Amino acid sequence: MTWRRTAPRGPERLRSLRRRLGKVEPVSVASMTLVWMLLFNGFRLREESLGLLVLGVLVSVLIMVLFPLPPVASGLRLRPWNTLRLIARFFADLVRASLQVSRQVFTPGPPVRSSVIAVHLRSDSDLMLVCTSVLLSVIPGSVVIEVGHPERVLYLHVLGAVDREGAERARRTALKLEERIVRAIGTRRDIADLEASTGGEGP
Amino acid sequence: MSDQMIAVLDWIAVLCLVAGALLSLVAGVGLVRFPDLLSRMHTAAKPQVLGLLLVLVGIGLRIAPVETGVFNVGTLLLVGLFQIMTVPVAGHIAARVAYRSGRIREDLLVTDELAEHLERRRADEPS
Repeated sequence: MTWRRTAPRGPERLRSLRRRLGKVEPVSVASMTLVWMLLFNGFRLREESLGLLVLGVLVSVLIMVLFPLPPVASGLRLRPWNTLRLIARFFADLVRASLQVSRQVFTPGPPVRSSVIAVHLRSDSDLMLVCTSVLLSVIPGSVVIEVGHPERVLYLHVLGAVDREGAERARRTALKLEERIVRAIGTRRDIADLEASTGGEGP
Repeated sequence: MSDQMIAVLDWIAVLCLVAGALLSLVAGVGLVRFPDLLSRMHTAAKPQVLGLLLVLVGIGLRIAPVETGVFNVGTLLLVGLFQIMTVPVAGHIAARVAYRSGRIREDLLVTDELAEHLERRRADEPS
């Protein structure tokens, strides 16, 4: 991304504005407008609802023009059924993980031991990496410590994994979570990546 | 909505609020009982998030039938969403800094693949 130090003038400025407007992404505008509407209770129908919606779109476009960000690389593709399953599974896992940590909190005796394990992700997209690491921290007994970015390795701290078997189990859970995420919101290429690399080892 | 319905919703809401509060308490106890920062991150990331979500659900059930001017279910949704999105990031940053600055109890780690990785990288770099 190149930053201009000198302010462009005249037609130059117009062109720069148009270029920035071209970078406005409809998906981002839609999601920002959604947040805006939720904040201002815009979904309760009343006189000013339409005005709120228009204002929300304008503010989102303004934000994207003033603070342009590089586009989300490969984008995402929503598969509703798999996404619903991912969300349902997420809440089930969240409950299970909470109960597990609660049990570890109240287990008397010496402090609980743990491991740091490396998990090699299979998909190549940044978005999948981010989603996986966010969800991994909340759910199955792990906290992400370090992300090896170019090689796509997540280093997880797994509470209560005291032997090789526990570590392997945590690694499998993490990879399964990645697979669920990719199948829910990944592009066709992400899924192809995933299947290409699981082909050798089995699911 | 019938009175009976509202009573049932109220009870569910009460249960959610109590469960959420208890989970937050567990998270607090965990912070005291766990030995090192990395373990403590777990209590901050899991029971606490679920506890907050349950409290939000409870509040949502309570305020859905009545019209308040202050906040609504949408606001609660946003609170929950941003909590889920930001807690892991904060936890990750804290854990990363703790790890890199050596503020962890290595005697509690059974295997540490990150240490091996860092060592390899340090060996590769010309010093």
